[in-house]
Amino acid sequence: MEFEAIVLPHLDAAYTLARYLTRNDADAQDIVQDASLRALKYFGGFRGTTDSDGRAWFLAIVRNTAYTWRNRTRGDALISEFNEELHSEEKTTHDPVAAVDLRQALDALPLEFREVIVLRELQGLSYKEIADVTGVPVGTVMSRLSRARKRLQEALT
Amino acid sequence: MTHPNLEAQLDAYLDGELAAADARALEAHIAQCPECARWRDDRVTLRAAIKSQIPVLRAPDVLRQRVRTQIRSGSRFRATVVWRSLALAASVAVVAFGGWQLGLQRGRGESLAAEVLTSHIRSLMPGHLTDVQSSDQHTVKPWFNGKLDYSPPVYDFAGQGFPLLGGRLDYVGGRPVAALVYGRRQHVINVVLWPRDRDPPASAPAAQTRQGYHVLRWVTPDYTYWAVSDLGLAELQDFERLLLQADSAAAPQPR
Repeated sequence: MEFEAIVLPHLDAAYTLARYLTRNDADAQDIVQDASLRALKYFGGFRGTTDSDGRAWFLAIVRNTAYTWRNRTRGDALISEFNEELHSEEKTTHDPVAAVDLRQALDALPLEFREVIVLRELQGLSYKEIADVTGVPVGTVMSRLSRARKRLQEALT
Repeated sequence: MTHPNLEAQLDAYLDGELAAADARALEAHIAQCPECARWRDDRVTLRAAIKSQIPVLRAPDVLRQRVRTQIRSGSRFRATVVWRSLALAASVAVVAFGGWQLGLQRGRGESLAAEVLTSHIRSLMPGHLTDVQSSDQHTVKPWFNGKLDYSPPVYDFAGQGFPLLGGRLDYVGGRPVAALVYGRRQHVINVVLWPRDRDPPASAPAAQTRQGYHVLRWVTPDYTYWAVSDLGLAELQDFERLLLQADSAAAPQPR
Protein backbone atom coordinates (compact mmCIF):
# COMPACT_ATOMS: atom_id res chain seq x y z
CA MET A 1 0.00 0.00 0.00
CA GLU A 2 1.07 3.53 -0.69
CA PHE A 3 1.66 5.66 2.35
CA GLU A 4 -0.66 8.37 1.03
CA ALA A 5 -3.48 5.87 0.73
CA ILE A 6 -3.24 5.12 4.42
CA VAL A 7 -2.92 8.50 5.99
CA LEU A 8 -4.85 10.96 3.84
CA PRO A 9 -8.19 9.10 3.59
CA HIS A 10 -8.17 8.58 7.35
CA LEU A 11 -7.24 12.09 8.38
CA ASP A 12 -10.80 12.85 9.49
CA ALA A 13 -10.87 9.67 11.56
CA ALA A 14 -7.49 10.55 13.04
CA TYR A 15 -8.55 14.09 13.88
CA THR A 16 -11.86 12.88 15.32
CA LEU A 17 -10.09 10.42 17.60
CA ALA A 18 -7.45 12.96 18.68
CA ARG A 19 -10.04 15.65 19.21
CA TYR A 20 -12.24 13.50 21.44
CA LEU A 21 -9.23 12.20 23.33
CA THR A 22 -7.80 15.67 23.99
CA ARG A 23 -11.07 17.65 23.90
CA ASN A 24 -9.02 20.42 22.34
CA ASP A 25 -8.61 21.47 18.72
CA ALA A 26 -5.03 22.77 18.85
CA ASP A 27 -3.71 19.69 20.65
CA ALA A 28 -5.63 17.41 18.32
CA GLN A 29 -4.07 19.09 15.28
CA ASP A 30 -0.57 18.87 16.73
CA ILE A 31 -1.08 15.24 17.62
CA VAL A 32 -2.34 14.28 14.17
CA GLN A 33 0.55 16.11 12.53
CA ASP A 34 3.00 14.46 14.86
CA ALA A 35 1.37 11.08 14.28
CA SER A 36 1.59 11.43 10.52
CA LEU A 37 5.31 12.18 10.86
CA ARG A 38 5.72 9.06 12.96
CA ALA A 39 3.64 7.06 10.51
CA LEU A 40 5.91 8.22 7.70
CA LYS A 41 8.90 7.18 9.74
CA TYR A 42 7.58 3.74 10.66
CA PHE A 43 5.80 2.98 7.41
CA GLY A 44 8.48 0.45 6.53
CA GLY A 45 7.19 -1.72 9.36
CA PHE A 46 3.58 -1.68 8.20
CA ARG A 47 2.50 -5.14 7.01
CA GLY A 48 -1.19 -4.56 6.34
CA THR A 49 -2.87 -5.11 3.01
CA THR A 50 -6.34 -3.62 3.28
CA ASP A 51 -7.79 -0.17 3.77
CA SER A 52 -9.03 -1.05 7.25
CA ASP A 53 -5.58 -2.40 8.17
CA GLY A 54 -4.18 0.98 7.24
CA ARG A 55 -6.82 2.82 9.20
CA ALA A 56 -6.24 0.75 12.35
CA TRP A 57 -2.48 1.14 11.99
CA PHE A 58 -2.68 4.92 11.63
CA LEU A 59 -5.26 5.29 14.40
CA ALA A 60 -3.03 3.28 16.72
CA ILE A 61 -0.22 5.76 16.06
CA VAL A 62 -2.55 8.70 16.64
CA ARG A 63 -3.76 7.15 19.87
CA ASN A 64 -0.25 6.42 21.12
CA THR A 65 0.86 9.92 20.21
CA ALA A 66 -2.05 11.37 22.18
CA TYR A 67 -1.11 9.28 25.22
CA THR A 68 2.53 10.31 24.91
CA TRP A 69 1.54 13.96 24.81
CA ARG A 70 -0.69 13.48 27.79
CA ASN A 71 2.11 11.94 29.79
CA ARG A 72 4.37 14.84 28.90
CA THR A 73 1.91 17.41 30.20
CA ARG A 74 2.29 16.50 33.84
CA GLY A 75 0.84 18.98 36.27
CA ASP A 76 -1.68 20.44 33.92
CA ALA A 77 -5.35 20.01 33.20
CA LEU A 78 -4.94 16.48 31.91
CA ILE A 79 -3.75 15.33 35.29
CA SER A 80 -6.86 16.62 36.90
CA GLU A 81 -8.61 14.40 34.43
CA PHE A 82 -6.68 11.45 35.80
CA ASN A 83 -7.89 12.27 39.28
CA GLU A 84 -11.36 12.67 38.02
CA GLU A 85 -11.09 9.25 36.46
CA LEU A 86 -9.96 7.74 39.73
CA HIS A 87 -13.07 8.95 41.39
CA SER A 88 -15.53 8.59 38.62
CA GLU A 89 -16.07 4.92 39.36
CA GLU A 90 -17.70 5.89 42.61
CA LYS A 91 -19.72 8.63 41.03
CA THR A 92 -23.11 6.96 40.95
CA THR A 93 -25.35 9.84 41.87
CA HIS A 94 -27.18 11.24 38.95
CA ASP A 95 -29.25 14.35 38.88
CA PRO A 96 -32.30 13.53 36.77
CA VAL A 97 -33.26 17.20 36.54
CA ALA A 98 -30.09 18.27 34.78
CA ALA A 99 -30.43 17.64 31.08
CA VAL A 100 -27.04 16.14 30.39
CA ASP A 101 -25.93 16.47 26.84
CA LEU A 102 -24.56 13.23 25.44
CA ARG A 103 -21.52 15.02 24.11
CA GLN A 104 -20.70 16.31 27.59
CA ALA A 105 -21.26 12.84 28.96
CA LEU A 106 -18.75 11.47 26.46
CA ASP A 107 -16.21 14.15 27.38
CA ALA A 108 -16.62 13.22 31.03
CA LEU A 109 -15.87 9.55 30.42
CA PRO A 110 -12.47 8.16 31.38
CA LEU A 111 -10.11 8.07 28.45
CA GLU A 112 -10.18 4.30 27.98
CA PHE A 113 -13.99 4.40 27.75
CA ARG A 114 -14.04 7.45 25.50
CA GLU A 115 -11.69 5.92 22.98
CA VAL A 116 -13.66 2.69 22.56
CA ILE A 117 -16.86 4.67 22.02
CA VAL A 118 -15.22 6.86 19.37
CA LEU A 119 -13.59 3.91 17.63
CA ARG A 120 -16.74 1.80 17.64
CA GLU A 121 -19.68 4.18 17.40
CA LEU A 122 -18.14 6.94 15.30
CA GLN A 123 -15.68 4.98 13.22
CA GLY A 124 -17.20 1.53 13.11
CA LEU A 125 -14.08 -0.46 13.95
CA SER A 126 -14.48 -4.14 14.80
CA TYR A 127 -13.62 -5.36 18.29
CA LYS A 128 -10.46 -6.91 16.90
CA GLU A 129 -9.42 -3.64 15.27
CA ILE A 130 -10.15 -1.71 18.46
CA ALA A 131 -8.04 -4.25 20.34
CA ASP A 132 -5.20 -3.65 17.87
CA VAL A 133 -5.48 0.13 18.18
CA THR A 134 -5.70 0.22 21.97
CA GLY A 135 -3.37 -2.69 22.68
CA VAL A 136 -5.76 -4.57 24.98
CA PRO A 137 -7.41 -7.99 24.52
CA VAL A 138 -10.70 -8.28 22.65
CA GLY A 139 -12.46 -9.30 25.86
CA THR A 140 -11.36 -6.05 27.49
CA VAL A 141 -12.63 -4.08 24.51
CA MET A 142 -15.96 -5.82 24.87
CA SER A 143 -16.35 -5.06 28.56
CA ARG A 144 -15.08 -1.48 28.28
CA LEU A 145 -17.48 -0.77 25.45
CA SER A 146 -20.38 -2.14 27.46
CA ARG A 147 -19.45 -0.15 30.56
CA ALA A 148 -18.92 3.00 28.53
CA ARG A 149 -22.34 2.65 26.94
CA LYS A 150 -23.88 2.07 30.31
CA ARG A 151 -22.44 5.38 31.51
CA LEU A 152 -23.74 7.20 28.46
CA GLN A 153 -27.10 5.57 28.90
CA GLU A 154 -27.28 6.91 32.44
CA ALA A 155 -26.62 10.37 31.09
CA LEU A 156 -29.51 10.04 28.68
CA THR A 157 -32.15 9.11 31.24
CA MET B 1 -31.08 -5.20 33.84
CA THR B 2 -30.78 -8.18 36.12
CA HIS B 3 -28.23 -10.02 34.04
CA PRO B 4 -25.14 -7.86 34.35
CA ASN B 5 -22.99 -10.72 33.14
CA LEU B 6 -25.01 -10.64 29.97
CA GLU B 7 -24.62 -6.93 29.27
CA ALA B 8 -21.33 -7.17 27.45
CA GLN B 9 -22.66 -10.15 25.51
CA LEU B 10 -25.77 -8.27 24.54
CA ASP B 11 -23.64 -5.34 23.40
CA ALA B 12 -21.47 -7.67 21.40
CA TYR B 13 -24.61 -9.17 19.92
CA LEU B 14 -25.87 -5.75 18.84
CA ASP B 15 -22.41 -5.01 17.45
CA GLY B 16 -22.57 -8.16 15.34
CA GLU B 17 -19.54 -9.50 17.17
CA LEU B 18 -21.11 -12.59 18.67
CA ALA B 19 -20.56 -16.02 17.13
CA ALA B 20 -23.65 -17.29 15.34
CA ALA B 21 -24.42 -20.00 17.91
CA ASP B 22 -24.12 -17.57 20.83
CA ALA B 23 -26.22 -15.03 18.99
CA ARG B 24 -29.02 -17.57 18.49
CA ALA B 25 -28.96 -18.52 22.15
CA LEU B 26 -29.12 -14.87 23.14
CA GLU B 27 -32.00 -14.17 20.77
CA ALA B 28 -33.89 -17.05 22.33
CA HIS B 29 -33.29 -15.58 25.77
CA ILE B 30 -34.37 -12.09 24.74
CA ALA B 31 -37.57 -13.47 23.24
CA GLN B 32 -38.67 -14.73 26.64
CA CYS B 33 -37.11 -12.05 28.88
CA PRO B 34 -38.91 -8.67 28.75
CA GLU B 35 -36.17 -7.09 30.80
CA CYS B 36 -33.48 -8.00 28.31
CA ALA B 37 -35.75 -6.94 25.47
CA ARG B 38 -36.22 -3.53 27.09
CA TRP B 39 -32.51 -3.31 27.70
CA ARG B 40 -31.87 -4.03 24.03
CA ASP B 41 -34.34 -1.34 22.97
CA ASP B 42 -32.61 1.16 25.26
CA ARG B 43 -29.29 0.37 23.67
CA VAL B 44 -30.73 0.85 20.21
CA THR B 45 -32.02 4.24 21.34
CA LEU B 46 -28.62 5.11 22.75
CA ARG B 47 -26.93 4.30 19.48
CA ALA B 48 -29.30 6.53 17.59
CA ALA B 49 -28.66 9.31 20.12
CA ILE B 50 -24.89 8.93 19.74
CA LYS B 51 -25.20 9.04 15.98
CA SER B 52 -27.22 12.23 16.07
CA GLN B 53 -25.45 14.04 18.93
CA ILE B 54 -21.81 13.08 18.63
CA PRO B 55 -20.47 14.07 15.25
CA VAL B 56 -17.63 12.57 13.28
CA LEU B 57 -15.31 15.55 12.84
CA ARG B 58 -13.57 16.82 9.78
CA ALA B 59 -9.86 17.54 9.89
CA PRO B 60 -9.29 21.30 9.47
CA ASP B 61 -7.95 22.32 6.07
CA VAL B 62 -4.77 23.76 7.55
CA LEU B 63 -4.00 20.37 9.12
CA ARG B 64 -4.80 18.51 5.92
CA GLN B 65 -2.47 20.84 4.05
CA ARG B 66 0.35 20.33 6.50
CA VAL B 67 0.10 16.57 6.43
CA ARG B 68 0.03 16.64 2.62
CA THR B 69 3.16 18.75 2.61
CA GLN B 70 4.87 16.39 5.04
CA ILE B 71 4.04 13.44 2.86
CA ARG B 72 5.11 15.18 -0.32
CA SER B 73 8.40 16.30 1.12
CA GLY B 74 9.05 13.09 3.00
CA SER B 75 8.30 10.85 0.06
CA ARG B 76 11.02 9.53 -2.17
CA PHE B 77 8.74 10.08 -5.12
CA ARG B 78 8.28 13.69 -4.31
CA ALA B 79 7.14 15.72 -7.22
CA THR B 80 8.67 19.08 -7.80
CA VAL B 81 6.11 21.56 -6.73
CA VAL B 82 6.15 24.86 -8.48
CA TRP B 83 5.45 27.59 -6.03
CA ARG B 84 4.03 30.93 -6.92
CA SER B 85 7.03 33.14 -7.25
CA LEU B 86 6.46 36.81 -7.34
CA ALA B 87 9.74 38.41 -6.59
CA LEU B 88 9.42 41.85 -5.15
CA ALA B 89 11.23 42.80 -2.02
CA ALA B 90 9.52 42.21 1.27
CA SER B 91 10.90 40.84 4.41
CA VAL B 92 10.40 37.67 6.35
CA ALA B 93 12.12 37.16 9.62
CA VAL B 94 12.88 33.72 10.92
CA VAL B 95 13.48 33.57 14.61
CA ALA B 96 15.24 30.55 15.95
CA PHE B 97 14.96 29.87 19.63
CA GLY B 98 18.13 28.85 21.38
CA GLY B 99 18.94 27.32 24.70
CA TRP B 100 15.52 25.99 25.37
CA GLN B 101 14.92 24.06 28.56
CA LEU B 102 12.48 21.33 29.33
CA GLY B 103 9.64 22.04 31.63
CA LEU B 104 7.74 24.76 29.85
CA GLN B 105 4.21 24.38 30.94
CA ARG B 106 1.12 24.11 28.87
CA GLY B 107 -0.34 27.55 28.51
CA ARG B 108 3.05 28.98 27.77
CA GLY B 109 2.11 28.52 24.15
CA GLU B 110 -0.04 31.59 24.50
CA SER B 111 2.62 33.74 26.12
CA LEU B 112 5.18 32.47 23.61
CA ALA B 113 2.94 33.56 20.77
CA ALA B 114 2.73 36.98 22.39
CA GLU B 115 6.50 37.14 22.81
CA VAL B 116 7.14 36.08 19.26
CA LEU B 117 4.75 38.77 18.09
CA THR B 118 6.52 41.33 20.28
CA SER B 119 9.85 40.28 18.81
CA HIS B 120 8.36 40.70 15.36
CA ILE B 121 7.00 44.17 16.05
CA ARG B 122 10.26 45.27 17.69
CA SER B 123 12.17 44.06 14.64
CA LEU B 124 10.16 46.46 12.49
CA MET B 125 11.41 49.48 14.42
CA PRO B 126 14.18 51.37 12.63
CA GLY B 127 17.55 49.67 12.95
CA HIS B 128 16.22 46.58 14.70
CA LEU B 129 15.57 44.22 11.83
CA THR B 130 18.96 42.53 11.41
CA ASP B 131 22.29 42.18 13.20
CA VAL B 132 23.80 40.45 10.21
CA GLN B 133 22.51 41.76 6.92
CA SER B 134 23.06 39.31 4.10
CA SER B 135 21.12 37.42 1.49
CA ASP B 136 23.72 34.65 1.66
CA GLN B 137 22.66 31.74 3.87
CA HIS B 138 26.31 30.75 4.19
CA THR B 139 27.01 34.12 5.78
CA VAL B 140 23.97 34.20 8.02
CA LYS B 141 24.13 30.65 9.40
CA PRO B 142 27.78 30.81 10.64
CA TRP B 143 27.08 34.20 12.20
CA PHE B 144 25.15 32.38 14.93
CA ASN B 145 28.15 30.25 15.89
CA GLY B 146 29.11 30.96 19.46
CA LYS B 147 25.95 32.98 20.02
CA LEU B 148 23.60 30.01 20.39
CA ASP B 149 24.11 26.38 21.37
CA TYR B 150 22.69 25.11 18.09
CA SER B 151 22.83 26.12 14.46
CA PRO B 152 19.43 27.09 13.05
CA PRO B 153 18.67 26.04 9.49
CA VAL B 154 18.92 29.01 7.12
CA TYR B 155 17.59 28.98 3.58
CA ASP B 156 17.33 31.44 0.76
CA PHE B 157 14.01 31.39 -1.03
CA ALA B 158 14.75 34.29 -3.37
CA GLY B 159 13.72 32.10 -6.29
CA GLN B 160 10.32 31.63 -4.70
CA GLY B 161 9.91 35.31 -3.87
CA PHE B 162 11.01 35.08 -0.24
CA PRO B 163 14.58 36.43 -0.30
CA LEU B 164 16.77 36.04 2.78
CA LEU B 165 17.57 39.47 4.20
CA GLY B 166 19.64 38.60 7.24
CA GLY B 167 19.48 37.50 10.85
CA ARG B 168 19.70 38.76 14.39
CA LEU B 169 19.85 37.62 17.97
CA ASP B 170 16.73 38.17 20.01
CA TYR B 171 15.47 37.22 23.44
CA VAL B 172 12.24 35.26 23.73
CA GLY B 173 10.95 32.90 26.39
CA GLY B 174 13.74 33.88 28.74
CA ARG B 175 16.39 32.66 26.31
CA PRO B 176 18.61 34.06 23.60
CA VAL B 177 17.07 33.33 20.23
CA ALA B 178 18.19 33.63 16.64
CA ALA B 179 16.12 35.60 14.17
CA LEU B 180 16.39 35.08 10.42
CA VAL B 181 14.93 37.79 8.27
CA TYR B 182 13.34 37.03 4.92
CA GLY B 183 11.53 39.27 2.47
CA ARG B 184 8.19 39.21 0.72
CA ARG B 185 7.34 42.47 -1.05
CA GLN B 186 6.87 45.11 1.66
CA HIS B 187 5.87 42.59 4.33
CA VAL B 188 7.77 41.15 7.25
CA ILE B 189 7.28 37.59 8.48
CA ASN B 190 8.79 36.22 11.68
CA VAL B 191 9.27 32.46 11.83
CA VAL B 192 10.39 31.11 15.19
CA LEU B 193 11.97 27.73 15.75
CA TRP B 194 13.67 25.79 18.48
CA PRO B 195 14.98 22.24 18.73
CA ARG B 196 12.10 19.92 19.17
CA ASP B 197 13.72 17.75 21.82
CA ARG B 198 13.48 20.77 24.10
CA ASP B 199 9.94 21.42 23.10
CA PRO B 200 7.45 21.98 25.87
CA PRO B 201 4.04 20.40 25.51
CA ALA B 202 2.48 22.80 23.08
CA SER B 203 -0.97 24.18 23.32
CA ALA B 204 -0.99 27.06 20.88
CA PRO B 205 -3.32 26.92 17.89
CA ALA B 206 -1.77 26.13 14.51
CA ALA B 207 -2.90 29.47 13.16
CA GLN B 208 -4.08 32.55 14.98
CA THR B 209 -4.48 36.26 14.39
CA ARG B 210 -3.16 38.75 16.92
CA GLN B 211 -3.29 42.51 16.56
CA GLY B 212 -3.72 42.10 12.84
CA TYR B 213 -0.72 39.79 12.46
CA HIS B 214 -0.95 36.13 11.51
CA VAL B 215 0.91 33.78 13.81
CA LEU B 216 1.55 30.25 12.55
CA ARG B 217 3.04 27.39 14.48
CA TRP B 218 4.16 23.99 13.18
CA VAL B 219 6.51 21.15 13.96
CA THR B 220 9.13 19.25 11.97
CA PRO B 221 11.11 16.26 13.20
CA ASP B 222 13.81 18.63 14.45
CA TYR B 223 12.23 21.98 15.20
CA THR B 224 9.14 23.72 16.41
CA TYR B 225 8.48 26.79 14.28
CA TRP B 226 6.59 30.01 14.75
CA ALA B 227 5.90 32.39 11.89
CA VAL B 228 4.55 35.93 12.23
CA SER B 229 3.61 38.40 9.55
CA ASP B 230 1.13 40.93 8.31
CA LEU B 231 1.35 39.05 5.04
CA GLY B 232 -1.86 37.40 3.84
CA LEU B 233 -2.51 34.06 5.50
CA ALA B 234 -2.32 32.09 2.25
CA GLU B 235 1.10 33.52 1.35
CA LEU B 236 2.37 32.98 4.85
CA GLN B 237 1.28 29.36 4.60
CA ASP B 238 3.10 29.10 1.27
CA PHE B 239 6.21 30.19 3.09
CA GLU B 240 5.55 27.63 5.80
CA ARG B 241 5.39 24.93 3.13
CA LEU B 242 8.68 26.12 1.67
CA LEU B 243 10.35 25.79 5.06
CA LEU B 244 8.76 22.40 5.68
CA GLN B 245 10.00 21.13 2.36
CA ALA B 246 13.45 22.61 2.75
CA ASP B 247 13.78 21.07 6.20
CA SER B 248 12.71 17.63 5.13
CA ALA B 249 14.94 17.80 2.07
CA ALA B 250 17.86 18.69 4.33
CA ALA B 251 17.07 16.01 6.91
CA PRO B 252 19.02 12.77 6.66
CA GLN B 253 16.80 9.97 5.33
CA PRO B 254 15.57 7.68 6.54
CA ARG B 255 15.36 9.30 9.89
